[in-house]
Amino acid sequence: MTPATVPANDPQLEHFFASNCVNCHGPEEQNGDVRLDLSFNNLTNDLELLDKITGVLEAGEMPPKGETQPDGKSIAEVIQTLQKHLAAIQPANPLKRLTRFEYTHTIHDLFDIEFDFSGLLPPDHVENGFDKFGEAHLMSPHQITAYLNTARFIAQRVLPDHEPKTRVWEFDAQHFHGSKNFATGGGGDYRDGDDYVLTGFRPYRSNLHWSIDSQKHDQFVIPEFGVYRLEVAAHSVDSNQGEVIGINLGDGRHPTSFRLIKRIALANGSKGFSIELTLRAGDQLAFTFDSARVPGRSLANKPHTGPAMHFSKVKVTGPLIDQWPTVAMERLLPNSDMKPGELVDHITLLLTKRPMSSEDRRGFVEIARKQLKSGASMKATARSVLTAVLTSPHFIYKAESPELTNVEHAYRLSYFLWNSVPDETLLESAMSGDLAKDPAIQVERMLLDPRMERFVDDFTRQWLQLDKVDDFGPDVRVFKDVRRMTVDSMAREGQEFFRHVLENDLSLKNFIDSDFVMANDRLARFYKLPPVDGDDFVPVKLPADSERGGLVAQAGFLKLTSTDFATSPIHRGAWILKNLYNERIEPPADVLINEPDIRGTKTIREAILKHQQLESCARCHSRIDPLGFALEYYDPVGRKRSEYRHVTEIVPEDAQTTFTKKIKFTSSPIDAAMTLANGHEVRDMVSLKAALMADQELILKGIIRKLISYAHGRELTRADRKHVDDIYKTIAPGEYSLREAIHAIVAHEAFGRR
Amino acid sequence: MTRRTFLKGAGIALLVPRMESFGQVTEADMPRRLLTIVNHLSFYQPELIPPTDGAFDKSPQLLNELSDQFDHLKLFSGLDNPAVQNGFGHTPCVGILSGYFNKLHRRNRLSIDQAIADKIGDNTRFKSLVFQAGENLNFSQISWDKHGLPVRQLDSPRKIFNLLFQVNEGDTTQQQILAEDRSILDAVLSQANAMEKRLNVTDRAKLDEYLTSVREVERSVKRRAYWANRPKPQIDYEIDDFDRKSVDDYVGTLLDLAVLALQTDSTRAVTVQIPFWEGFKEPELSGNYHDLSHHGQKPEKIRKLLMLEQGILRRINHALNTMKQRKVGNTTLFDQTTTLLTASMGSANAHNFDDLPALVVDARMKTSGYWRKQDVPMSNLYLGLLKLFAPEYEHFGESTGAFEVLS
Repeated sequence: MTPATVPANDPQLEHFFASNCVNCHGPEEQNGDVRLDLSFNNLTNDLELLDKITGVLEAGEMPPKGETQPDGKSIAEVIQTLQKHLAAIQPANPLKRLTRFEYTHTIHDLFDIEFDFSGLLPPDHVENGFDKFGEAHLMSPHQITAYLNTARFIAQRVLPDHEPKTRVWEFDAQHFHGSKNFATGGGGDYRDGDDYVLTGFRPYRSNLHWSIDSQKHDQFVIPEFGVYRLEVAAHSVDSNQGEVIGINLGDGRHPTSFRLIKRIALANGSKGFSIELTLRAGDQLAFTFDSARVPGRSLANKPHTGPAMHFSKVKVTGPLIDQWPTVAMERLLPNSDMKPGELVDHITLLLTKRPMSSEDRRGFVEIARKQLKSGASMKATARSVLTAVLTSPHFIYKAESPELTNVEHAYRLSYFLWNSVPDETLLESAMSGDLAKDPAIQVERMLLDPRMERFVDDFTRQWLQLDKVDDFGPDVRVFKDVRRMTVDSMAREGQEFFRHVLENDLSLKNFIDSDFVMANDRLARFYKLPPVDGDDFVPVKLPADSERGGLVAQAGFLKLTSTDFATSPIHRGAWILKNLYNERIEPPADVLINEPDIRGTKTIREAILKHQQLESCARCHSRIDPLGFALEYYDPVGRKRSEYRHVTEIVPEDAQTTFTKKIKFTSSPIDAAMTLANGHEVRDMVSLKAALMADQELILKGIIRKLISYAHGRELTRADRKHVDDIYKTIAPGEYSLREAIHAIVAHEAFGRR
Repeated sequence: MTRRTFLKGAGIALLVPRMESFGQVTEADMPRRLLTIVNHLSFYQPELIPPTDGAFDKSPQLLNELSDQFDHLKLFSGLDNPAVQNGFGHTPCVGILSGYFNKLHRRNRLSIDQAIADKIGDNTRFKSLVFQAGENLNFSQISWDKHGLPVRQLDSPRKIFNLLFQVNEGDTTQQQILAEDRSILDAVLSQANAMEKRLNVTDRAKLDEYLTSVREVERSVKRRAYWANRPKPQIDYEIDDFDRKSVDDYVGTLLDLAVLALQTDSTRAVTVQIPFWEGFKEPELSGNYHDLSHHGQKPEKIRKLLMLEQGILRRINHALNTMKQRKVGNTTLFDQTTTLLTASMGSANAHNFDDLPALVVDARMKTSGYWRKQDVPMSNLYLGLLKLFAPEYEHFGESTGAFEVLS
């Protein structure tokens, strides 16, 4: 943080704090761990604290109701002074390193290999927002070791000594295995003539894998790294809709560690599919029937009824070689006779897009020189250099100067929209100065490029927490008709919606409310909308009486904020404040939070109202709770309901296991009406969306802040207010288009600064 | 249950390496070791916990399996981990050794086995070894380093065996890789040093993490290179390839390997997690362990569960007895080793993460017996254990005091 040029003290602030705040935030008490009797310098250098004080004063939350209130004029003056100080403090934007997704995409673009490296690197930590924030980026010996090992793995794969030989394997029902040999029991699969049949969706109940020797249960193993084509003959029976097959990595005989790598949607009547996957030596493949209606059970006593998936043939071809030498080999080793220094300079430039200083390259040149001298091949030497450059801080970190250089500017843009290195066109535009002058052409080109998908995926996953939609349940005993693929579609909806808004130049206001939803066959059925054909999402116009539309009516959001039996109004309200208003809310530092167990209780409203009465909780909960409560007419999986259905597990004398306990339903009426801090009453979805619409400016700015913080890789503070206002004003004439917002963020002068 | 493989390495001399190249003072003649065993699915407590506090006069059938250790055993019940968030299926089990779990945080806190390994692991080939019996599920990570990051848990007996006794880091490729690692780490370290000079204060702090981490990796590469030049311990032990994995196979084999790793001084801290997803070979025990542990008070299921848990405890007892037979000078491996046995759940049937049992075995213990506790943090026991290795510690996790383990 750059120390601001501020006066040594400010009598106006000191006086205000002393007469209004210090009673509860001073030497005697430090409510919320806040102390305002400190020296002026201590205060004005604490960006976070100043931000917080300004926030509570603006919202009229402090001093709390019931205490003597300062007059409006002095509050306004103090807010103004605080804002002046905030604007003077340049927010820190600490050094960022590549996230593991950025790393994967970068390697993909540099070497033309489509392989998910994120499994080889430790997960990235997320704090208050996105994993792209330098603030949250950790470095540890574990991380360095992972970089080194991943670098060597890549070097060995992209610069192999010999051309791999493509082989073909063909398997049919005699090679297929299901769960017959499971230690875990298993069941639900069987051989039917020339077919092998799966009936359940749980991988550890049954899956399909295959062996080369039809007499043995040794699962087929991928022999070497490369791209493999799978051609699979499979069809569903007793189904009148599209079905889904999962492709998993792992030992099909002990499937508890399965990693789902792909879902294949088969249209109704389809006879199979073909797909290319990049796989590692030792990988084992297995198929699951993900859209099955039942988990899978032993069929010994009762045969299966309902949809089933029949597999008859699997053909594996690989590793596939498009060209030899490969693209990566040509890029890394343009000629077979390079001097050590030449090789290092070439690979460094390829990977980091800028030359290394002679001091920095010395160690790497030495590595290359030693290798060549010891008689190693050019390729082996290039492997060592590549391993070294991939471990270098010049590759791992995205260093930024206070005023971004041309290359750094291109980096910021390409990691914003592509999550990867800039391509030649973008770099040229940066070097020529065109990018700095008018980025619109490049931004438009990048938004039309398929690499833009990575931004849509990554931004929506983190903004909307779409990866948490499938975290719990739904409990099959309670939600009998909500199946795993419906939940899967819920998790995809937010992302599809964002993409549609972006691609069609629609307004950010659609995130508050919209007259359409994005739906595929399953989601349209779930929402009771006119039927949609197939697994792909299309816009569906909503009937006039529908409450859907906007983010808060999406089943994915409603589900991810619920537990397996019950909704959680607090989670829903907090989600809205955090993700739409972009508020930073967290439990106060001095309060130990014990979440009440609200599962099935009749007194959920009472439980929640109780903590509104406690002063320490009320400040946030008076804002959180009404927002969440208004959504109580939507159940834990996002369906409309007219009453609570409480679930009680019955414990009979001869009790069943936890998962087979009988359950009992009781119902009680919903009372969702509550008053927002600004006096508006919200009572249901419609009035909630109206209240959110009334806060349109706050929410659109909240979303803009999310986009800016993602683009800049740091959390925004009140010091960024002008920046946000600028963007908001720029996109106002175009009805707040998301696409224009992205253009405006990149065109803003702040985008060229650290 | 029949014992499939016995530890055959009875006659091996202990390989106690000299660490002159590290410039470290050789430890006192008797190194201290830690064996941590965690049973994810817990034990059926009505048959584990005696009716009364104090000496083991009348021990229930499960506890009885450990009767050989009664002179050196303290049993505690009713411990809990107040900072472990409940719910979310089996996931809170990841917090058993740290006393911490928060669903929203991917990182955890330092676990007790790693806290102790940090103190005693400098002079051996591996700072610690963590064995994960059965496939690695997302809720089976129990060992966390001081950065709160997961410690690698090895889940294949074959891999563990190869790592300990087969992999020859002395061969040319391994040597070359280690040498290359060292040159690369050296080069990137000087790049980071040069880079640091151009950065402002906040960035410098970030890059410092990189520098510190690279230096630490350099040390571990040096450690591997040091051991690469030394012969691996020779042992007479064969691992069966079990196609159909069973709990019994796993527990027996992993405990054998744990004893071998300690005995050969490959490491001084071993952590073993008992499997929870596998089945059994015995025809009368159909189903899997997980299913039986969620018994719903059905007598038939409890009967089978007890057979299985007795089998597990028998294996543990056997491992402790084996350590007694391993002579080191005038002491034994057992004399050198503190053993902790605990469970991630109080009862898998109730699916609760408090009311936890814990057992400590230590040859130096003056009083043995059973202590009934209630709402006492597990971290108090952990702190008591930690103090045996590092008396300077005053806190661990949610500790409110320290158990006297040896009194």
